Amino acid sequence: MVGEAPAIFVALEQSGFASAIRQSPWLYPAANVGHIVSLLFFAGTVTVMDVRLLGGFAATAPARVLAGTRRLALAAFAGMALSGFILFSAEASHLVLNSVLQLKAALIGAGLVNVALYEFMAKREVEGLPPGAIMPARARIAGLLSLVIWIAVAVCGRSIAYF
Amino acid sequence: MLKIVPFIAALTLLTSTAIAHHGWGSYDAAKPVTVTGPILSSKFENPHATITVRGSDKVWTVTLAPVSRMTSRGATDKVVAVGRNISAYGYPSTVEKDEMRAERITVEGKTYEMR
Repeated sequence: MVGEAPAIFVALEQSGFASAIRQSPWLYPAANVGHIVSLLFFAGTVTVMDVRLLGGFAATAPARVLAGTRRLALAAFAGMALSGFILFSAEASHLVLNSVLQLKAALIGAGLVNVALYEFMAKREVEGLPPGAIMPARARIAGLLSLVIWIAVAVCGRSIAYF
Repeated sequence: MLKIVPFIAALTLLTSTAIAHHGWGSYDAAKPVTVTGPILSSKFENPHATITVRGSDKVWTVTLAPVSRMTSRGATDKVVAVGRNISAYGYPSTVEKDEMRAERITVEGKTYEMR
Protein backbone atom coordinates (compact mmCIF):
# COMPACT_ATOMS: atom_id res chain seq x y z
CA MET A 1 0.00 0.00 0.00
CA VAL A 2 2.84 2.36 0.87
CA GLY A 3 4.25 1.76 -2.61
CA GLU A 4 1.22 3.22 -4.38
CA ALA A 5 1.47 6.69 -2.85
CA PRO A 6 3.50 9.48 -4.50
CA ALA A 7 7.06 9.47 -3.21
CA ILE A 8 6.79 12.81 -1.42
CA PHE A 9 4.03 11.47 0.85
CA VAL A 10 5.92 8.25 1.54
CA ALA A 11 8.94 10.39 2.45
CA LEU A 12 6.78 12.56 4.71
CA GLU A 13 5.42 9.52 6.56
CA GLN A 14 8.90 8.07 6.94
CA SER A 15 10.45 11.35 8.11
CA GLY A 16 11.75 11.84 11.63
CA PHE A 17 9.01 14.41 12.15
CA ALA A 18 6.23 11.90 11.39
CA SER A 19 7.95 9.18 13.44
CA ALA A 20 8.09 11.53 16.40
CA ILE A 21 4.34 12.15 16.06
CA ARG A 22 3.59 8.41 16.06
CA GLN A 23 5.97 7.61 18.88
CA SER A 24 4.90 10.41 21.20
CA PRO A 25 2.16 9.26 23.57
CA TRP A 26 0.52 12.72 23.58
CA LEU A 27 1.32 14.52 20.30
CA TYR A 28 -1.17 12.71 18.06
CA PRO A 29 -4.06 12.92 20.57
CA ALA A 30 -3.16 16.57 21.24
CA ALA A 31 -3.32 17.34 17.51
CA ASN A 32 -6.65 15.50 17.34
CA VAL A 33 -8.09 17.66 20.13
CA GLY A 34 -6.44 20.79 18.72
CA HIS A 35 -8.09 20.15 15.36
CA ILE A 36 -11.53 20.03 16.99
CA VAL A 37 -10.96 23.08 19.21
CA SER A 38 -9.74 25.04 16.16
CA LEU A 39 -12.80 23.81 14.27
CA LEU A 40 -15.10 25.22 16.98
CA PHE A 41 -13.59 28.69 16.60
CA PHE A 42 -13.43 28.45 12.81
CA ALA A 43 -17.03 27.28 12.47
CA GLY A 44 -18.25 29.89 14.93
CA THR A 45 -16.50 32.85 13.34
CA VAL A 46 -17.16 31.78 9.75
CA THR A 47 -20.85 31.28 10.53
CA VAL A 48 -21.07 34.81 11.98
CA MET A 49 -19.34 36.23 8.88
CA ASP A 50 -21.53 34.26 6.48
CA VAL A 51 -24.75 35.16 8.30
CA ARG A 52 -23.73 38.84 8.11
CA LEU A 53 -23.06 38.51 4.37
CA LEU A 54 -26.47 36.87 3.95
CA GLY A 55 -28.09 39.90 5.61
CA GLY A 56 -28.37 38.70 9.21
CA PHE A 57 -27.40 40.89 12.21
CA ALA A 58 -28.80 43.71 10.07
CA ALA A 59 -28.49 46.30 12.84
CA THR A 60 -24.70 46.00 12.85
CA ALA A 61 -22.18 47.71 10.58
CA PRO A 62 -20.84 44.96 8.23
CA ALA A 63 -17.26 46.22 8.44
CA ARG A 64 -17.21 46.03 12.25
CA VAL A 65 -18.60 42.49 12.41
CA LEU A 66 -16.45 41.16 9.57
CA ALA A 67 -13.19 42.72 10.71
CA GLY A 68 -13.68 41.46 14.26
CA THR A 69 -14.40 37.88 13.25
CA ARG A 70 -11.88 37.70 10.38
CA ARG A 71 -8.84 37.76 12.67
CA LEU A 72 -10.11 34.92 14.84
CA ALA A 73 -11.20 32.93 11.77
CA LEU A 74 -7.70 33.23 10.30
CA ALA A 75 -6.10 32.16 13.58
CA ALA A 76 -8.49 29.19 13.80
CA PHE A 77 -7.72 28.23 10.19
CA ALA A 78 -4.01 28.30 11.00
CA GLY A 79 -4.70 26.04 13.99
CA MET A 80 -6.65 23.61 11.82
CA ALA A 81 -3.94 23.60 9.16
CA LEU A 82 -1.18 22.92 11.69
CA SER A 83 -3.04 20.21 13.62
CA GLY A 84 -4.33 18.72 10.38
CA PHE A 85 -0.81 18.54 8.97
CA ILE A 86 0.35 16.70 12.10
CA LEU A 87 -2.50 14.18 11.85
CA PHE A 88 -1.92 13.77 8.11
CA SER A 89 1.86 13.32 8.40
CA ALA A 90 1.57 10.34 10.74
CA GLU A 91 -0.29 8.32 8.10
CA ALA A 92 0.43 10.31 4.93
CA SER A 93 1.06 7.44 2.51
CA HIS A 94 -2.36 5.88 2.88
CA LEU A 95 -4.34 9.02 3.74
CA VAL A 96 -3.28 10.67 0.49
CA LEU A 97 -4.95 7.82 -1.39
CA ASN A 98 -8.18 8.20 0.61
CA SER A 99 -10.84 9.52 -1.76
CA VAL A 100 -12.67 11.42 0.99
CA LEU A 101 -9.48 13.20 2.03
CA GLN A 102 -8.86 14.10 -1.62
CA LEU A 103 -12.39 15.52 -1.82
CA LYS A 104 -11.83 17.41 1.43
CA ALA A 105 -8.60 18.94 0.08
CA ALA A 106 -10.41 20.03 -3.10
CA LEU A 107 -13.23 21.56 -1.05
CA ILE A 108 -10.75 23.47 1.14
CA GLY A 109 -9.26 24.81 -2.10
CA ALA A 110 -12.73 25.85 -3.26
CA GLY A 111 -13.39 27.52 0.12
CA LEU A 112 -10.17 29.53 -0.18
CA VAL A 113 -10.97 30.53 -3.77
CA ASN A 114 -14.38 31.72 -2.53
CA VAL A 115 -12.62 33.82 0.13
CA ALA A 116 -10.26 35.29 -2.47
CA LEU A 117 -13.12 36.12 -4.85
CA TYR A 118 -14.99 37.85 -2.05
CA GLU A 119 -11.92 39.79 -0.97
CA PHE A 120 -11.25 41.06 -4.51
CA MET A 121 -14.80 41.50 -5.79
CA ALA A 122 -17.09 42.32 -2.88
CA LYS A 123 -15.21 43.25 0.26
CA ARG A 124 -14.71 46.94 -0.50
CA GLU A 125 -18.39 47.47 -1.33
CA VAL A 126 -19.69 45.43 1.63
CA GLU A 127 -17.48 47.06 4.23
CA GLY A 128 -18.59 50.51 3.15
CA LEU A 129 -22.25 49.73 3.85
CA PRO A 130 -24.05 51.23 6.85
CA PRO A 131 -26.06 49.14 9.33
CA GLY A 132 -29.38 47.98 7.87
CA ALA A 133 -28.29 48.22 4.23
CA ILE A 134 -29.37 45.49 1.82
CA MET A 135 -26.42 43.18 1.12
CA PRO A 136 -25.35 42.99 -2.53
CA ALA A 137 -26.00 39.73 -4.36
CA ARG A 138 -22.31 38.87 -4.71
CA ALA A 139 -21.93 39.10 -0.92
CA ARG A 140 -24.92 36.83 -0.35
CA ILE A 141 -23.59 34.31 -2.85
CA ALA A 142 -20.16 34.32 -1.19
CA GLY A 143 -21.75 33.82 2.24
CA LEU A 144 -23.97 30.97 1.07
CA LEU A 145 -21.13 29.25 -0.80
CA SER A 146 -18.92 29.59 2.26
CA LEU A 147 -21.48 27.89 4.52
CA VAL A 148 -22.08 25.05 2.08
CA ILE A 149 -18.39 24.49 1.34
CA TRP A 150 -17.15 24.55 4.95
CA ILE A 151 -19.93 22.28 6.17
CA ALA A 152 -19.02 19.86 3.36
CA VAL A 153 -15.37 20.07 4.48
CA ALA A 154 -16.43 19.13 8.03
CA VAL A 155 -18.53 16.22 6.74
CA CYS A 156 -15.56 14.95 4.72
CA GLY A 157 -13.19 15.37 7.65
CA ARG A 158 -15.35 13.25 9.90
CA SER A 159 -15.86 10.66 7.16
CA ILE A 160 -12.18 10.02 6.31
CA ALA A 161 -11.84 7.28 8.94
CA TYR A 162 -14.78 5.35 7.49
CA PHE A 163 -13.44 4.98 3.94
CA MET B 1 -30.17 35.96 15.20
CA LEU B 2 -32.53 32.99 14.93
CA LYS B 3 -31.12 32.24 11.49
CA ILE B 4 -27.83 31.00 12.88
CA VAL B 5 -29.35 28.48 15.30
CA PRO B 6 -29.84 25.71 12.69
CA PHE B 7 -26.31 26.19 11.41
CA ILE B 8 -24.81 25.94 14.88
CA ALA B 9 -26.96 22.88 15.60
CA ALA B 10 -25.79 21.25 12.36
CA LEU B 11 -22.14 22.00 13.05
CA THR B 12 -22.48 20.68 16.59
CA LEU B 13 -23.91 17.42 15.28
CA LEU B 14 -21.14 17.16 12.72
CA THR B 15 -18.37 17.63 15.24
CA SER B 16 -19.75 15.93 18.36
CA THR B 17 -18.43 12.49 17.45
CA ALA B 18 -15.17 13.78 16.09
CA ILE B 19 -12.98 12.62 18.96
CA ALA B 20 -13.70 8.97 18.20
CA HIS B 21 -11.01 8.25 15.65
CA HIS B 22 -12.02 5.27 13.60
CA GLY B 23 -15.12 3.54 12.45
CA TRP B 24 -15.49 -0.19 12.27
CA GLY B 25 -17.13 -0.08 8.87
CA SER B 26 -14.19 -1.56 7.01
CA TYR B 27 -13.94 -4.62 9.31
CA ASP B 28 -16.21 -7.63 8.89
CA ALA B 29 -17.71 -8.27 12.33
CA ALA B 30 -19.69 -11.19 10.92
CA LYS B 31 -16.50 -13.19 10.36
CA PRO B 32 -14.43 -12.95 13.54
CA VAL B 33 -11.03 -14.63 13.48
CA THR B 34 -8.58 -15.68 16.14
CA VAL B 35 -4.93 -15.38 15.20
CA THR B 36 -2.49 -17.21 17.44
CA GLY B 37 1.28 -17.22 17.13
CA PRO B 38 4.50 -15.35 17.75
CA ILE B 39 4.76 -11.58 17.26
CA LEU B 40 7.09 -10.89 14.32
CA SER B 41 7.15 -7.09 14.50
CA SER B 42 5.67 -4.51 16.81
CA LYS B 43 5.02 -0.81 16.38
CA PHE B 44 3.87 0.74 19.64
CA GLU B 45 2.78 3.95 17.93
CA ASN B 46 -0.17 6.30 17.46
CA PRO B 47 -2.80 6.43 16.13
CA HIS B 48 -2.90 2.65 16.80
CA ALA B 49 -0.34 0.13 17.86
CA THR B 50 0.15 -2.51 15.18
CA ILE B 51 1.86 -5.90 15.25
CA THR B 52 2.43 -8.67 12.77
CA VAL B 53 1.71 -12.21 13.94
CA ARG B 54 2.66 -15.52 12.31
CA GLY B 55 -0.68 -17.28 12.43
CA SER B 56 -1.29 -20.89 11.47
CA ASP B 57 -2.34 -19.90 7.95
CA LYS B 58 -0.43 -16.70 7.17
CA VAL B 59 1.20 -13.60 8.61
CA TRP B 60 -1.45 -11.21 9.86
CA THR B 61 -1.17 -7.49 10.47
CA VAL B 62 -3.09 -6.91 13.69
CA THR B 63 -4.29 -3.40 14.46
CA LEU B 64 -4.52 -2.77 18.19
CA ALA B 65 -5.61 0.32 20.17
CA PRO B 66 -4.12 3.83 20.67
CA VAL B 67 -1.01 3.61 22.84
CA SER B 68 -2.50 5.52 25.78
CA ARG B 69 -5.41 3.07 26.01
CA MET B 70 -3.09 0.08 25.63
CA THR B 71 -0.88 1.40 28.41
CA SER B 72 -3.75 2.19 30.78
CA ARG B 73 -5.03 -1.39 30.39
CA GLY B 74 -1.65 -2.89 31.04
CA ALA B 75 -0.95 -3.93 27.45
CA THR B 76 2.37 -2.08 27.33
CA ASP B 77 5.04 -2.28 24.64
CA LYS B 78 6.65 -5.08 26.66
CA VAL B 79 3.43 -7.13 26.51
CA VAL B 80 3.21 -6.86 22.71
CA ALA B 81 6.96 -7.16 22.13
CA VAL B 82 8.54 -9.14 19.29
CA GLY B 83 8.82 -12.85 20.12
CA ARG B 84 5.90 -12.99 22.53
CA ASN B 85 3.16 -15.48 21.80
CA ILE B 86 -0.19 -13.80 21.35
CA SER B 87 -3.75 -14.75 20.63
CA ALA B 88 -5.76 -11.97 19.00
CA TYR B 89 -9.53 -12.16 18.52
CA GLY B 90 -10.92 -9.66 16.06
CA TYR B 91 -12.36 -8.86 12.69
CA PRO B 92 -10.70 -9.11 9.29
CA SER B 93 -10.40 -5.97 7.18
CA THR B 94 -12.56 -5.76 4.10
CA VAL B 95 -10.03 -3.35 2.57
CA GLU B 96 -6.51 -4.37 3.59
CA LYS B 97 -5.34 -7.88 2.75
CA ASP B 98 -4.31 -10.00 5.76
CA GLU B 99 -5.15 -7.23 8.23
CA MET B 100 -7.45 -7.58 11.22
CA ARG B 101 -8.53 -5.31 14.02
CA ALA B 102 -8.30 -6.87 17.46
CA GLU B 103 -11.25 -6.78 19.81
CA ARG B 104 -9.12 -8.38 22.53
CA ILE B 105 -5.70 -9.96 22.86
CA THR B 106 -4.37 -12.63 25.20
CA VAL B 107 -0.68 -12.77 26.11
CA GLU B 108 0.64 -15.35 28.59
CA GLY B 109 -2.80 -16.12 29.95
CA LYS B 110 -3.79 -12.48 30.47
CA THR B 111 -6.52 -10.92 28.33
CA TYR B 112 -6.58 -7.25 27.40
CA GLU B 113 -9.64 -5.54 25.87
CA MET B 114 -8.79 -3.22 22.97
CA ARG B 115 -12.10 -1.42 22.69
